[in-house]
Amino acid sequence: MADTPEAIRKSLRLYGLIGLVLFAGTIATVLVATVPALDVGGHGFDAADCVLGLLIATTKATLVAAIFMHLNHEKKAIYWIFGAGGVFVAALYLLTALAKKDPIFDPLFYGQESKTEPFLASPTLR
Amino acid sequence: MEIPYIVTPRKDTGLFNSKIAIWLFLASEVMLFGGFFSAYVFLRLGADYPWPERTLPVLPGLINTFILIGSSVTVVFAWASLKMRQWRKFQFFMGITIACAAIFMVLKGLEYNVKFHHQAVRLNDYTVIEGHLGYEMEDGKEVLNHHGQKIEENQIQVETSGLTFNIVRFHKPWVEELLSQAEHRKSKIVLAADVSAITDEGKPAETLAKAGEPLSVELLSRLQESHLDARSHNGAVRTAELRKEWVEAKKNNPGKRGWEVSSGVNIDADTIAPHVLTEIGTVAFKVDPPAMFDFKPRDIQEGATQSRLRDDTLVDGKMLASPMGLHYVDAIDFRHLAMKAVEKGQDPMVAVENSWLIKNHPFAKDAWEWNKGQVAKIEKELLERHGVDEKTGKAKYEPTAKERYRIGWKEFVAMADEVDRDREEIAIKEEFMGPDYHGREAKHTFPHLELPREQIRFASKFTPAWNTYYAIYFTITGLHGLHVIGGALVLCYYLFFGRKMYDTNPEWLANRVEIGGLFWHFVDLVWIFAFPIFYLM
Repeated sequence: MADTPEAIRKSLRLYGLIGLVLFAGTIATVLVATVPALDVGGHGFDAADCVLGLLIATTKATLVAAIFMHLNHEKKAIYWIFGAGGVFVAALYLLTALAKKDPIFDPLFYGQESKTEPFLASPTLR
Repeated sequence: MEIPYIVTPRKDTGLFNSKIAIWLFLASEVMLFGGFFSAYVFLRLGADYPWPERTLPVLPGLINTFILIGSSVTVVFAWASLKMRQWRKFQFFMGITIACAAIFMVLKGLEYNVKFHHQAVRLNDYTVIEGHLGYEMEDGKEVLNHHGQKIEENQIQVETSGLTFNIVRFHKPWVEELLSQAEHRKSKIVLAADVSAITDEGKPAETLAKAGEPLSVELLSRLQESHLDARSHNGAVRTAELRKEWVEAKKNNPGKRGWEVSSGVNIDADTIAPHVLTEIGTVAFKVDPPAMFDFKPRDIQEGATQSRLRDDTLVDGKMLASPMGLHYVDAIDFRHLAMKAVEKGQDPMVAVENSWLIKNHPFAKDAWEWNKGQVAKIEKELLERHGVDEKTGKAKYEPTAKERYRIGWKEFVAMADEVDRDREEIAIKEEFMGPDYHGREAKHTFPHLELPREQIRFASKFTPAWNTYYAIYFTITGLHGLHVIGGALVLCYYLFFGRKMYDTNPEWLANRVEIGGLFWHFVDLVWIFAFPIFYLM
């Protein structure tokens, strides 16, 4: 991390540049979502749009964390603390993913025919 | 006392203490917001209704993203200025950061306000209609309630002949509202019969209120006081009697345990009867002459001849037609209806064309026909651009469910302007605040509808009550907004009260600003994910 006044003065340009990249990333996300010509994957919002949108967001977040929050050269203790938080969040998402396997989400569990799948599978109702 | 390691780092961690503290806090924040985002995923995957994707206006979200990113840059410049001992520059950049926070919150407030005034209705057949409620009119003038506010045209109307109040649960503002409405209708609410009660042990019943006495909060409060006193007294009488019974039972059954004798321990109602005071649970009033009263749908559980308010007040009388007046309908959404039709194995297009709205409102039918034409154009365009899938022999890409089944406000504008969808002219203000209803009235862009009460399955403003999407949207953005306010307050403190510290120990202040800045960057980080998730996906 830049600590001396000289090193900080040099870093100012980088901070400004990162700001511009973040602005550009935001515009890119909006364009991909709203301009039909830039639509990735199939027509309309789909998994490809979702992945691309989150990819841009993650890149922006990484830049903020690495440069503005100085995580690119921090002390070990901070990596451990932040990493632990990340692990717990990952566990939460894992639980969410596992919930899809929970029988309560399956109409067959209640002795009914599965009715929601055809709707989700139907391209006209995507 | 000198606080250690506020400027110089500790040897073991290599960090000053507050930095360790803020990172521990940020890790907990990561888990908090991670939990909410995980809840979002859970709700979206498990939604039993078409998820309202890309439903929020993008422009306010985009501006707010720019503002937060800009503030993230200025807060780091503010910190750098302090490190370089440039107080004026620090003031300048920190001032901009705080101004950004204020603008962010103002824009968020505007966005929320639009939601809180926008009405959504789900009909019995799952057609969803969005728009704005009209106001109750009388002789060409808007009717005002006792607070002087306009009354939305979404009231349950009951030809009321009697009201029975729960003496403990009655809600004071509702009583005042009932009195105001009675006065407006030139009717009186008076006590139906004398209210008599024994208020002192051993004394005869006395009349607390006489038949014909007008309803007032004071009267109900007086009766409530008497009721609560009696209940408290009677509780004490029963407890004393029960204790006496226990003592006797234990004396008559020496050596036995409590549970063995408990069946024989009972309060004799006749024994305590002379000591018991009268508890007045409910009080009945009559409306003379019977008059029509308006009730907000969320406050009443309506019935054909008797309804019940949420404070347990019984309203005797016939429920009137009570239609909902939607002025400026700005969206008709058949996606949920189509989804239900597919679930039943029906053709969704047929289901839409047989829907109550299409059959009863010519404007909706016209809009649907117009939209079908537009969908056909999209189909043709997609076919020309992407061709046919070789395996299925069908078009590779088809219009989305939103294009097919939702007629939003921009489509209404395109229809009124007689242009194709996405060719309509929308002003920047409209992109931000929603359609200019009055400006577009000349072309009858947004229709007025009257919806019979029996057709309404559920109605709500765009609040967390409407669906899980809005519930999680308000939860995450609301919590984020609180973080913006909290962060801005801390940064304000550094800006307005930091000069003294700057003069005595500038490095300490720089470290403090770094800590505040780290929190501020985290707030920005959360928004970086919230913006695409809520506004673009």
